[in-house]
Amino acid sequence: MNIWQRLRAVYTRRLRRSPTPLDLPVIFEHFQEILADNQKAMEIITDLGEKAGGEYIFDWHYLADAVQRLQDVLLHLVKGLNLVADNRYTELYQTLDRIFLPLEAELRGRLNLAAEAPLVCPLGELPLDHPEMAGGKASNLAEISQRLSLPVPAGFVITTQAYRRYLEHNHFDERLHTILENWQAGLADERQSSRQIQYHILAGTVPVDVARAIRSQLEGGKKEKTWAVRSSAYGEDGELSFAGLHKSLLGVAGKNLLSAYKEVVASLYNPEALIYRQKMGLLGEEAAMAVLCQEMVSARVSGVAHSRALEMAAPDQVIIYAAPGPGQVVQGQGRVQRLLVHADPPFPVTWLPDDQTNGGPGTVAVGSDHVEGPGEPWHELLPEPLVRQLATWVSAIERYFKRAQEIEWAVDSEGQVWILQSRNLLIPQEKVPAIEDVCASCATQPVLLRDVGAVAHAGVGAGPVFKVQSDEDMGRFPAGAIMVTPFTAPWLALIVPKAAGIIAERGSAAGHLATIAREFRVPALVGVPDAMKILPDGEEITLDTYNRCIYQGQVRALLDYELLHPLVFEDSAEFRLLRRLLRRIAPLRLTDPQAPDFTPAGCTTVHDMVRYIHEKAVQELMDIPKSLSHPSGVQVWTLLSNVPLDLKILDLGGGIDPEASGSKVTLEQVRSRPLRALWEILSLPGVWSTEPIPVDFQGMMSSLTRTRTESPGMETGAGIDLAVVSDTYLNLHLRLGYHFNLVDARMEEEPVHNHLYFRFLGGVTDITRRSRRAQLLARILSRHHFKVDVKGDLVIARVLHLSAAEIETRLRLVGRLIGFTRQLDILLRRDEDVDQFEQTFFQQISPPGEDTAEGGQHGTTAPENPGPGR
Amino acid sequence: MEQRRLKILVLDDEPIVCKRLKPNLEKVGFEVDIFTDSTEALHHIQEHPYDIVITDLKMKIVDGMRFLKEVKKNSPQTEVIIITGFATLETAKESYKQGVFDFIAKPFKLGEIQKVVEQAAAKIRASEKAG
Repeated sequence: MNIWQRLRAVYTRRLRRSPTPLDLPVIFEHFQEILADNQKAMEIITDLGEKAGGEYIFDWHYLADAVQRLQDVLLHLVKGLNLVADNRYTELYQTLDRIFLPLEAELRGRLNLAAEAPLVCPLGELPLDHPEMAGGKASNLAEISQRLSLPVPAGFVITTQAYRRYLEHNHFDERLHTILENWQAGLADERQSSRQIQYHILAGTVPVDVARAIRSQLEGGKKEKTWAVRSSAYGEDGELSFAGLHKSLLGVAGKNLLSAYKEVVASLYNPEALIYRQKMGLLGEEAAMAVLCQEMVSARVSGVAHSRALEMAAPDQVIIYAAPGPGQVVQGQGRVQRLLVHADPPFPVTWLPDDQTNGGPGTVAVGSDHVEGPGEPWHELLPEPLVRQLATWVSAIERYFKRAQEIEWAVDSEGQVWILQSRNLLIPQEKVPAIEDVCASCATQPVLLRDVGAVAHAGVGAGPVFKVQSDEDMGRFPAGAIMVTPFTAPWLALIVPKAAGIIAERGSAAGHLATIAREFRVPALVGVPDAMKILPDGEEITLDTYNRCIYQGQVRALLDYELLHPLVFEDSAEFRLLRRLLRRIAPLRLTDPQAPDFTPAGCTTVHDMVRYIHEKAVQELMDIPKSLSHPSGVQVWTLLSNVPLDLKILDLGGGIDPEASGSKVTLEQVRSRPLRALWEILSLPGVWSTEPIPVDFQGMMSSLTRTRTESPGMETGAGIDLAVVSDTYLNLHLRLGYHFNLVDARMEEEPVHNHLYFRFLGGVTDITRRSRRAQLLARILSRHHFKVDVKGDLVIARVLHLSAAEIETRLRLVGRLIGFTRQLDILLRRDEDVDQFEQTFFQQISPPGEDTAEGGQHGTTAPENPGPGR
Repeated sequence: MEQRRLKILVLDDEPIVCKRLKPNLEKVGFEVDIFTDSTEALHHIQEHPYDIVITDLKMKIVDGMRFLKEVKKNSPQTEVIIITGFATLETAKESYKQGVFDFIAKPFKLGEIQKVVEQAAAKIRASEKAG
């Protein structure tokens, strides 16, 4: 069975509508709209991503507007695909709702879907940026554990959703409201009100579903395991500090967990807490208590650390308060040892002698008994390597939260350090540097670079320059250094969390490294030319991306100001909302069109939907030739050319010489400008192949079948090589061996109608090599002002609104690339090869007497070359 | 000779705009007061002149255009910069007639507004020198 027979068989098996000639122009119009919408959607997504970097000021309206625009475009895309595909994708309307309803709920500030707000959630799986669900304390710990990968005792959160269930289940909502109203009206004082509320809460029962969810978290562990049950009220440890107002219980046995839960929940209505919330302007009912349950660490030593020893007037040092056993420092009991650790390598440790240890650590109550003699010697209890490790972690947490931190920690019997809690350190106003001093310091500090690059993440960071160019450099990267790198490769992600700042010579604010920097809140400047040359290795610098400025040395006043002034933009409601929205919008999870979940139901984000629709639209076009194989009265031309491809041409109007007859045409008879431009280049010697090419028809066919059979597992019915053309339009599908190329181009008088879209996918080698080829393509295309997106081995490149001549120039480049990539299928063995092949390509395209892809503006000058022997 | 610090008033009923602009402009040497309540700001400017006023266009109660007129009435030399999410050509034209210094559309970059503010500051300093 030859290929046509097989195609026909596939066709007859599939009961699908055969497009009539009238349908085709309409289908291609829709297809172009889909491409345009696809681009619009990606632009909105990129735009939102960039806003997360802190360089922009935006408000809620912007977010609402962007989501609305995105929804409109997606709706249009779904409609478009269904028009092209005869309504075979109506399921996508449900997908649209499934993805956009939660986005709308987020915008309204509501998480009303039960699945979205679980009753109980393990700390390691807690969704980030939802402090209203888990409270500040638990959210902070989740970030420390999930983002910074620091050891936090395992546990789970009983969410504010469970708290609301609790009130509802015990029919207490109304009663609570009345008591609080009476108190606010002055009819009862806070002690009476508090007593009443707490009585009701403690007398209530935990709803069955909540109790079941809690018990399921207790299963599997050791029986004798005990728990720390801590308050994690919404707002606590966040912008507002409720530190110490609520209850935390230690050493709770599993069987007593439910009563401990009630006790902690009741503490939300302590008289002090009521007064505090009133002062802060928080209404009674707004308060909600999440409860964090963590496995107890059997501590041989524990304590508190401040990332800035402000109380010792040593703001560049970490101060650690330590006492033997668990919880003594916090409870203000026992012997307390103080240590100062320098924040920079080699982290020298100063053990403060007894006579300096008078007085408590600022906001933490410390007992007056101090270490007098070594009960157990401190160097055994808390050896210096552990002290240094703790100090580096404390600094990392401070860097992440961009605030001086107060951290509770413990060391267990095995010598493992654990982070138990972290909250913003309360800073007395007089410690915040005066803004005049900041201005003065910045004005006098020597500047290494100014007003260069794009802001990927806003912020200020200081540290020694550390240049990263290889895997070995990655391994040696010291925490707290400034990463300076010539590229923005994805593998750099590994060291981003350790960096105090990032400076990259390449990249854009919408790129991959920028996204990672934002995730870890690391100040980052990308697209800084010559950064590798200008910034000396090891030199201490201060990177201020708010002002796109790199200072020599540490600008102390600026750094202190950043750590101590009141607003961290990442913590503002708008930024948190944006990050929550982005999580439902930006990630691309559907990457493999062959995967079983590449379905409407498999789409979990807006990006997934865009990708899915795009892929399906392309597939629909690929299916068209199958129906064309059926004798349906449609004129399909075969192109005679020295390129060994059996290209079929379908003319929508004006694309083929009206004088042409029979079923075959030569390139001279092709009137479609875009097809001519591309095919002329493809026919040049050395473009398609460096080897001699058989030119007779038989040779052409055998070459064609060879290309096909070289691809094991490839479905033969996957499509033929087809160009759909008009005088100014080209839609071209080429399946070359393992590569699939799609070109869609329009060349009209008015640049506003013009576009060129090039999509490349596939390859026979492993994904790494394929990705290298994708990188190579992306680089070459970018140099010609294409907007390029690369996902694994998929390259999508577009230009818009260029003059016909400029589109033509780029079509010729694309033609060369199609030929070029065909030749280097398995040659890209190492990353360095990408550079080499890039050079080879540019050498190839500029032999004397031929226009380069960049320079050629004067139409097609290359000779037609149909004859053998060339 | 050290230059005097110029005073800026920022009015926007979205607190995030004020909260972010204040430290940013302070860091480059301006003295900044912020308001989210337009009525309050209106009262305030009767007594306290500013060198530069940055105001949102679309606000509840007192809108940006009215605020602009009031500012100019009280102190004609004050430079006003309008920020808005709904910049239409018509309002832009109208505000230029009222003597607005420049227009910035939301969302905007910190660097963008800083540049405009610095241009306004340069104009003020130049006229002070001349005057």
